[in-house]
Amino acid sequence: MPESLKFHFTPVDEAHADEKNVHEKASTDVADTIDILKKEFPDGISDVVVYAGEYTVFVTRDSLVEICTALKETLGFSYLVDLAGVDRFTEDAPRYEVYYCFVNIHAKKRIRLKVSLDEDDPVLPSITRLFKAADWNERECYDMLGIQFEGHPDLRRMYMPEDFEFHPQRKEFPLLGIPGSLPLPPRTPEGGLTMDPFAAARQGSPVKSYQEPESEF
Amino acid sequence: MDSATGYLTTTVDAVVNWARSNSLMPMPMGLACCAIEMMAFGGPKYDVGRFGSEAMRFSPRQADLMIVAGWCSYKMAHAIRRVWDQMADPKWCIAMGACASSGGMHRCYGVVQGIDNFMPVDVYIPGCPPRPEAVIHALMDIQEKIRNEYSVTNDYSSGSPHAELAQPESARLTADGRDLSLNGSGLVHA
Amino acid sequence: MSVATPYHDQDAIFSFWPRHNETLLKRLESKDAWLSTERGLDVSRIEDALEHEMTLNIGPQHPATHGVLRCVVKLDGERIEKCVLDIGYLHRGIEKLAESKTYQEFMPYTDRMDYLSPYANNVAWCMAVEKIANVEVPERAQWIRMIMCELARISSHMLWLGVGLMDAGAVSVFLWTFQGREDLYNIFDEVSGARFTVSHSRIGGLASDLSPKAIEMIQDFAIRYEGIIQGWQKLLNRNRIWIDRNKDIGVISADEAIQLGLTGPNLRGSGVAYDIRTFEPYLKYEEVDFTIPLREEGDCLARYHIRVEEMLESIKIINQCLEQMPEGPIRTDDAKKAYPSKDEVYYSMEGMIHDFMYTETGVAPPKGVASYHAIESPKGELGFYLESDGTGCPWRARLNAPSFTNLQGLESMMEGHPVADIVVLIGSIDPVMGEADR
Repeated sequence: MPESLKFHFTPVDEAHADEKNVHEKASTDVADTIDILKKEFPDGISDVVVYAGEYTVFVTRDSLVEICTALKETLGFSYLVDLAGVDRFTEDAPRYEVYYCFVNIHAKKRIRLKVSLDEDDPVLPSITRLFKAADWNERECYDMLGIQFEGHPDLRRMYMPEDFEFHPQRKEFPLLGIPGSLPLPPRTPEGGLTMDPFAAARQGSPVKSYQEPESEF
Repeated sequence: MDSATGYLTTTVDAVVNWARSNSLMPMPMGLACCAIEMMAFGGPKYDVGRFGSEAMRFSPRQADLMIVAGWCSYKMAHAIRRVWDQMADPKWCIAMGACASSGGMHRCYGVVQGIDNFMPVDVYIPGCPPRPEAVIHALMDIQEKIRNEYSVTNDYSSGSPHAELAQPESARLTADGRDLSLNGSGLVHA
Repeated sequence: MSVATPYHDQDAIFSFWPRHNETLLKRLESKDAWLSTERGLDVSRIEDALEHEMTLNIGPQHPATHGVLRCVVKLDGERIEKCVLDIGYLHRGIEKLAESKTYQEFMPYTDRMDYLSPYANNVAWCMAVEKIANVEVPERAQWIRMIMCELARISSHMLWLGVGLMDAGAVSVFLWTFQGREDLYNIFDEVSGARFTVSHSRIGGLASDLSPKAIEMIQDFAIRYEGIIQGWQKLLNRNRIWIDRNKDIGVISADEAIQLGLTGPNLRGSGVAYDIRTFEPYLKYEEVDFTIPLREEGDCLARYHIRVEEMLESIKIINQCLEQMPEGPIRTDDAKKAYPSKDEVYYSMEGMIHDFMYTETGVAPPKGVASYHAIESPKGELGFYLESDGTGCPWRARLNAPSFTNLQGLESMMEGHPVADIVVLIGSIDPVMGEADR
């Protein structure tokens, strides 16, 4: 393969760890919680990244449920705020990431977990047994990125109709969609479905109802 | 009008059109942000009751003007079309806002790029969202359109008076775009 | 053009998303079967299914669903046995759209998420970008943002009140609250030039300062509407019909609310004091004095009380902001991080180049970083999770929509109530589908 030309649209800044972010919040400083987690799950936590005072804890897939249980039951992070997936779209590293945002309402703390997933095996254990709030978020993640959640009671699509077969948040899905994947209603009373999303531009306007042929009855 | 005898001559068309145009009952297909401006259009300040259209009918069978307000997703398109098919003739449609007219700023996989891809539209309103004044203007345009229609003399809803109308459009239209089937019926084809 | 797709035979008559409806019904049936065994119900009642059982489909086009929410409910007589919600009828994929826009370009899309309070969304987006790109915001801009956020909260709650009462059968309150909204529209119009899709906030500050006339209008609004909102309270707080429709309807306990992930007034109505304004204070909320209304009951009436009291608190905040607001610049003076002022653009070469550059690429956060910032929008916690790849467009922009999380709780809230309470319940949750469907 020929070496691709390296081209950046803008000069890329690297993150400076020592730079003080003016929007840092006290609530995201969870260093002591992470220490506890590290002690309890030495193999479960692969990395901890800090940016803008926010800690992102990378956990392995096998220990995700255990860590969530510990967060909920012993550390007080009982409120799931957000759950979503990210498509990294790279070849060299795990392609998908799913992040979980938990809040401890009484201690006023916020923590973020992240799990990396391979492209060939985008399966995660569901945490709906622990947090009911994860239900719709996991369904949305499945709809948008095609990540399967094992043990989810009702893994249907969240937004798109079941008749659709793609996962639009993936980077390879074109922004304008795939023509013909979502049919439009027929343009004539007896006609077939419109598979062309730009039918108005190519086929004239739809018939008016008074143009229909005489009734046989 | 003759004041001594007290009668008035007019055409049936004029009376019917006058009645129709001043009592349009909108079916608010409120989908997104434009629906809020549509509420303002029916609300106290802009008061569309002045134009006889304050009675919003949420049942398609009681309405004759559909206002599609907001972007229309592919998933919703079939519901809109079904509601439109349930409305009784004669009926008119306003595509309110850029999204309903052409997809607008939402040029992406979920949004139909203009509702005229699957249903006929009479008036398009630009704006994102249009101000209520613009919606009132569109309503007045529809009224104008109704007043210029031949509602009884050429009532196509109970079958076409012209056999030619059943022909495909290509057979009826002349090279310069005139409609042969309408000749002699008094219709001026613009 | 014909692309062969499964499930769609071009010649067959299309029923409404055939496979989608099938799975929806299957879900309803499976939920029903599970509930019957769980509740130990008599199976023999299935035999006389025609007597009193009914599956009812409400929406997506229904005036009481506040947009295009679809509920499929299984009724036993008049009681709701089971409910399955179906959303996505407004889905357009703004998260995907954001990936192809620069940070500043995405601003108008945030207006159209929660279109009852666009200013709050603008501020949420700006603050999320400012956090990931580390942009400082001048004092005065923060105070103005706060004022406008609180006005947005009032406007959202006003529409909720009017429409909610219309669902319960009282049309006149809609006309009154809409008059209030028209007054607010006039303020937004004066401030930004648009009635409600304002796009007035900018990354690193604001588009323009408040004019003296706008400040006068806001002061006037705050004075007049304190009394008017109290008047609404007088009308409704002891209104027999309103109380009967709302009391003990859709009760959610504090534990359940946390489990279901409710946010905003719905969570506070159950007695959980979680409000981002005090949880992790942003803007200048630490410097003003206000209380957060809290109720223990967890029913629709509690949620009503909280929203109306929040409107009064907002007016209190606005009055303090107007007093404490300092003079000064409204946008940060760093051409890499915010638009230069119009004076610079028109009268200096560098200013114009910076303006072009900012429109072309805009602010570029460091490569490979991620951050999350949330504000308390009228509906609850509205957060943006951003990931950057070092260019001017976000690699991933995730919207944590409060309406979405709140709707999740609606299914279990509905079960066991009469069918007439559906409209009141949907109203009290206050979902906006543009936001929930992303």
